[in-house]
Amino acid sequence: MADALLLAPTSLGAYLLVAAVLFVAGVVAVTTRRSAIGVLIGLELMFNAAGLQMVAYSRFRPGIAADGDLAALFIIVVAAAEAGVALALLHAAYRQRRDIDLELHRDLRQ
Amino acid sequence: MTAALLFWICAGTAMAGALGAAVVRNLFQAALLLGLSLVGVAGLYLFLDAGYLACVQLIVYVGGVLVLILFATLFSSDVLGLVQRAPRWAMPVGAVSALLAAGVAWRLADAGLRAVSAAPAATPSPATPLGDLLIGPWLVPFLAAAALLTLALVAAVALVQRFRLPEDDRG
Repeated sequence: MADALLLAPTSLGAYLLVAAVLFVAGVVAVTTRRSAIGVLIGLELMFNAAGLQMVAYSRFRPGIAADGDLAALFIIVVAAAEAGVALALLHAAYRQRRDIDLELHRDLRQ
Repeated sequence: MTAALLFWICAGTAMAGALGAAVVRNLFQAALLLGLSLVGVAGLYLFLDAGYLACVQLIVYVGGVLVLILFATLFSSDVLGLVQRAPRWAMPVGAVSALLAAGVAWRLADAGLRAVSAAPAATPSPATPLGDLLIGPWLVPFLAAAALLTLALVAAVALVQRFRLPEDDRG
């Protein structure tokens, strides 16, 4: 049963594989990018991985109805709000240092 | 067969776009690759019978969030990635974090697959229309999301606003 679920096209395992690759790519982008936009892109990738998993589990686990769809919908809402605030923050940071390289904003730690 | 081919095209687009967005030097290209990945995920939503989500993904994510990110690349002094070399710690840190994230994802997927295959193969319940769920059990999160969006909008405007105190005018 577990083998049948794994990696046959349009099985739960295939969706989980895609979500895992998206999540790993997002983590790598967040940890290695120097530019704040690169970090933002990584965050969006991780949001997408989470949403995809929600919908996939909602389809393959009987009796959960469409709750996963709504969770993914709320993830998209949160991501949209986050992108708007992030752009405003980047604008504020840019006004101070004329760049959004995160190395230039190290003093925020203090 | 055709369905499997289409599925793997969507899945491959999503995965290749994500990996490209994570490693490519040019930030503008990274944002465009993110868009490619988002479109691939929208295709996967279609395979999951979530047509509404696929539409929302395309309209809000590709049409809204991606445009914001492309706009934000204008703030970077080195969009093309020509000037700055990747820092020396980028490779080891990236490799370690990738391994950790892959480990977490593997454990979660393993547990999830076990739980699903152990569940009784009940007849799939008919999908409840999303609107019924939103007005019913999801009402509080729905209203909270509305409040969150309003708050984010006002906060974004407040952050980019130049507040000037009266004393500033003298200097």
